[in-house]
Amino acid sequence: MIRVLAVCLVAAAAIPAWAHHSFAAEFDPSKPVKLVGTVTKMEWINPHSWIHMDVKNADGTVTSWMIEGGSPNSLLRRGFTKNSLQAGTEIVVEGYQAKDGANRANGRDLTFPDGRKLFIGTNPDEKTPDK
Amino acid sequence: MMDRLRGTLTALAWLGAASMASAQGVATQGVTVVAKAAPKPAPDATSSATTPAATMRTPYGAPDLQGYWTSTTVTPLERPKELGEKAFFTPEEAAQFAKRQLATPEPTGPGTYADVHYNMAQFGLEKSQTKVAANIRTSLITDPPDGRIPPMTPEAVKRNAARAAANKGHEFDSAQNRSLSEQCILWPNEGPPMLPVGYNGNTQIVQGPGYVAILQEMIHDVRIIRTDGSPHLPANIRQWMGDSRGHWEGDTLVVDTTNFTDRTAFRGSSENLHVVERFRRVDADTVLYQFTVEDPSTWARSWSAEIPMTKVKGPIFEYACHEGNYGMANNLSGARAEERQKAQGAK
Repeated sequence: MIRVLAVCLVAAAAIPAWAHHSFAAEFDPSKPVKLVGTVTKMEWINPHSWIHMDVKNADGTVTSWMIEGGSPNSLLRRGFTKNSLQAGTEIVVEGYQAKDGANRANGRDLTFPDGRKLFIGTNPDEKTPDK
Repeated sequence: MMDRLRGTLTALAWLGAASMASAQGVATQGVTVVAKAAPKPAPDATSSATTPAATMRTPYGAPDLQGYWTSTTVTPLERPKELGEKAFFTPEEAAQFAKRQLATPEPTGPGTYADVHYNMAQFGLEKSQTKVAANIRTSLITDPPDGRIPPMTPEAVKRNAARAAANKGHEFDSAQNRSLSEQCILWPNEGPPMLPVGYNGNTQIVQGPGYVAILQEMIHDVRIIRTDGSPHLPANIRQWMGDSRGHWEGDTLVVDTTNFTDRTAFRGSSENLHVVERFRRVDADTVLYQFTVEDPSTWARSWSAEIPMTKVKGPIFEYACHEGNYGMANNLSGARAEERQKAQGAK
């Protein structure tokens, strides 16, 4: 019974203290990936968004990947809507693959093929320091 | 233009004809564009921030705490030891301190655990990208005078060590061994008392006659607080967030919370945790939130903190923790993969 009483702070010092869960337990720093493909779906789930994408392999086959991203709340507050990232959009993801070898990765950097950031900027209204 | 929007909010508050929630709805339209185009508004007497708090009332006459607020702050909960009993910065020191806190983090090295995350800046999750209430305090803790949580009692040290030891080596055995936040049960900052969180630190307050409801984005629970003088639940009923009862002392909402479970363990507390919170509308843009916690089974004395909550745009995005909790399955499957690797390495 006592085993379930795990105290919350499991994150090691190197991990952002406010991650909802341990990324270090989920993804493998020795498995960097760079994926170029098209968005098939974006899941707007607070506090982690998940982008589904299809990556075309050299042999012509297609592999589906899931990419973990940040909280949709901050995107919503910047005017990003469910229509902002349409299926079919081409994106480039750099991150690290899941430890269990599945086709999942954290979205370390998400860009369009021309290098522009997929999500960028700050809502000036939110940033305005007050008083 | 910003002033006009603020004026709209003020007018609505004065009229008392609309809730702050709908006033926020007005403010959400086009603000981004406006803020870019408008020169920085000079502080003047027309700012809604100077609206006397006493005029902000619900239609039925209670002080109006309603709206969307953030407790995001650069002020640490505990004061750095080297500052001793210096409770306040000078405005210059405060500005320098805030600048350091909001600085862009050092880039992480490729192939390191620190690099295994999404880029917080891209998702607008860094504190420098969000609204932060100014504060010249050197710590959120106002009492004891050193601004630090009192030392734990020997009993509490032992109790917490036993918990940690029991889970050691079993952290990834099952979902039940993971933290309460990973299980989507309770966020460590959720409280009561409510502490600032690194991101998504948004709170919505809604009032009705005899009730105040508080929704925190992290981690989705709505605390419904009766203010009708009703007593606490019987002592044998224990809840993750305790049992909160409120009353008004002048214009201040005072909320008393007991009946916690021993598994809530707020900073190592026991089921005897007792929290008293105070909410006061200071001006149109600010609710001052203060709390005192006591638990003789955990700390030798009580301690108190003060956190200004500043107004933000609504709505709050639903926190759908369970629906999106791929992380739990991935953490456990990652641990199984590591175990297999170790087993193969041992052969």
